[in-house]
Amino acid sequence: MTAAEVRTQPAAPASPAWTGAPGVRLAWLHLRSRRVPGAVLALAVCGGVLRAALHWHWTFTSGFLAQQFPMIIGGGAAAVVAMTTHSPFGEPERATGRWLPYLRLGTALAMTGMAIGVLQLAVTGASLNGGIFTLARNVIGITGIGLLASLVTGGLLAWILPMAYVAFAQYALLEAWRNPWTWPVRPPDDRGAWICAAVVFAAGLAAFTVRGARTAPADS
Amino acid sequence: MSAVALSRPARVLRIEIRRSVVPWSVPLILALFFFDSYRTAAGFPPNWTVHASAITNNLAWDFAPFAAGLGAWVASREGRRNTGDLLATTARPAWARQAAALGATLFWLLLTFLAAVAALYIQVALQATWGGPPLWPVVVGAVQVVTLAVLGFTAGALFPGRFTAPLAAIGAFLLVFIGFHAALNLTPDSSTNALLSPATGLPLEDVGVFYHVAPDVAIAQVMFMGGITVALLGVLVVAPVFRVRGGLSGAVGRAGRPLCAAGVVLLAAGVAASWTAFALTGTAKLGVSGWDIPALHDAASDQPIPYTPDCAGTAFPVCVHPAFSGDLPAAAAALQPVAAELKGLPGAPVRAEEVPAAGEGVSGTPPVYHYDGNNGIAPFLGSPAGADNARWRAGFQQELLTEFIAGPPNAGPRPDASVLPPTAAQQAVITALMTVAGSQAQFGEDMTNGHPTAGATPAQIDAAAQRFASLSTAARHAWLAAHLPALRVGEITLAQLP
Repeated sequence: MTAAEVRTQPAAPASPAWTGAPGVRLAWLHLRSRRVPGAVLALAVCGGVLRAALHWHWTFTSGFLAQQFPMIIGGGAAAVVAMTTHSPFGEPERATGRWLPYLRLGTALAMTGMAIGVLQLAVTGASLNGGIFTLARNVIGITGIGLLASLVTGGLLAWILPMAYVAFAQYALLEAWRNPWTWPVRPPDDRGAWICAAVVFAAGLAAFTVRGARTAPADS
Repeated sequence: MSAVALSRPARVLRIEIRRSVVPWSVPLILALFFFDSYRTAAGFPPNWTVHASAITNNLAWDFAPFAAGLGAWVASREGRRNTGDLLATTARPAWARQAAALGATLFWLLLTFLAAVAALYIQVALQATWGGPPLWPVVVGAVQVVTLAVLGFTAGALFPGRFTAPLAAIGAFLLVFIGFHAALNLTPDSSTNALLSPATGLPLEDVGVFYHVAPDVAIAQVMFMGGITVALLGVLVVAPVFRVRGGLSGAVGRAGRPLCAAGVVLLAAGVAASWTAFALTGTAKLGVSGWDIPALHDAASDQPIPYTPDCAGTAFPVCVHPAFSGDLPAAAAALQPVAAELKGLPGAPVRAEEVPAAGEGVSGTPPVYHYDGNNGIAPFLGSPAGADNARWRAGFQQELLTEFIAGPPNAGPRPDASVLPPTAAQQAVITALMTVAGSQAQFGEDMTNGHPTAGATPAQIDAAAQRFASLSTAARHAWLAAHLPALRVGEITLAQLP
């Protein structure tokens, strides 16, 4: 027992008089426990920074270096999605019923779609090198990396591996690597890059759906 | 030393170091370092200054997201675990706990950073034939790592949410990138504040070889980033005041007036240092050894560094700066065949010497061919092994022949000669002499108003070159001896070539 409740207003508990469908209530509670509203805000920050960079020309507008800034933002959005895999309830949550894998799957898919949608909204009307397809592919693939990382590190530290991949992709971009698994450096319509990104995302999504993020507190 | 003998802060620091999350990220950082910094630097010429640029250009990228993200992660620990109130009841003030956590994070980051620098410097030490390790890039890189870590730490302490760490990592990435973007667009005519960015373009191959690299910009960068760091530490010290209820004066009283005063002083000193550095870089001028900041510049650093050139060959000695000794065999092998074709001609060079940039040309008595490190010996941008290829050899030979036969680009007879290529006859003679030497000349097809600027098409020039190359050595030599002055000033046409 600490004085935190006295000093800081606790989050309002869900109303016991919920009148909607139980499934909706369950989904909403799950999303809140994963800090999805905060994640949406973080995604909006990523989108805002991308828009500002394109508007005020903080980045290169042509050439291969023009891909760097959107790639970093895409990696950041993917890292935010990966952070929503953390459950504050730990192991006991797994004994609560059979819906948990579906909730994980739905949350990961919804957050990935949300990340792409927010970034698409941010670049609407602006000239983005590589277009939204490259950005979407980066988000999808790097989110897959983050989901896989969450199985090992836990959700709270799942941002580290996506960041490392983005840093590596910077190098691959400068060195003009052409491997499909360095998908951020490939053209928007490159089939191999899409396959690699999709495979990584599918593997991460499947593993996360079945097993969930590592439940031991990652920073202990 | 036993644990008992350690002071309390040292014991806390030791515990933080043992429990730090940073070592778990070290393998990732080192993997990035190997791929990005180490492998990239391996392709650089064996020049200490050029290799050291990998510290601020590459290593910074590798460390930036981890330094800021892990700093934020460590700082948000109390917030994530909701232990802020429990720890508030302990005898130690908040800044002491934060100092230990930040110290442990910086300890691991700097240890990894210095290990990476050591690996880079050992790599160049095994190749370099001249000079020594520059220390300013190491200082700048280390300060950058500290600044980004403190930036992330401050963000984590002020906003201890689960998304703070990745956002801090992304923010650090973007800061480095935006600075890099600004630095690449830097010109002497534009605002020079972009010099504050440690990440910039690759330096010229002979930088730091003929002149010392002035530390002016490095000092300004350290002052700028150090100022930001100090200001952020001030923010961390002052921040608890704003969390205490009961008005500002009451909060100051409870937090302690000396502590608040120290925080404000740190904040003010940091802002002043950063602002001063910002203003100083605005006065930067391009000097002989790079960017000079008048208020920080030591005129002694503008003096050339004395050296004894390494030379090879007797009939036509080819000399390089000792920093490029590894390139000497390739340079001599490239220049001596074409020099043999020129031997005995009026004004023909008797020796080739490497000189600083902007000193290129054939001059002196007896004539000496001066080539600079950037256009002459090292355009291949790589290790000495990279010089041993036909493309580089042809380019190096063509530089000599063009200087001798066509002269400097701005010495032609027409007002706009500086932008004109050699004339068709000059191109044909150069091409022929290179063909005889076993190389292939490369001239671009420059067009003016739809017509070849040189006065003939590449096909016509090649045909004349083949004709000239098919002459006997004695006939070629005799014709050149008789017509070289006219050829140099552009009075010989393609049809007049034998």
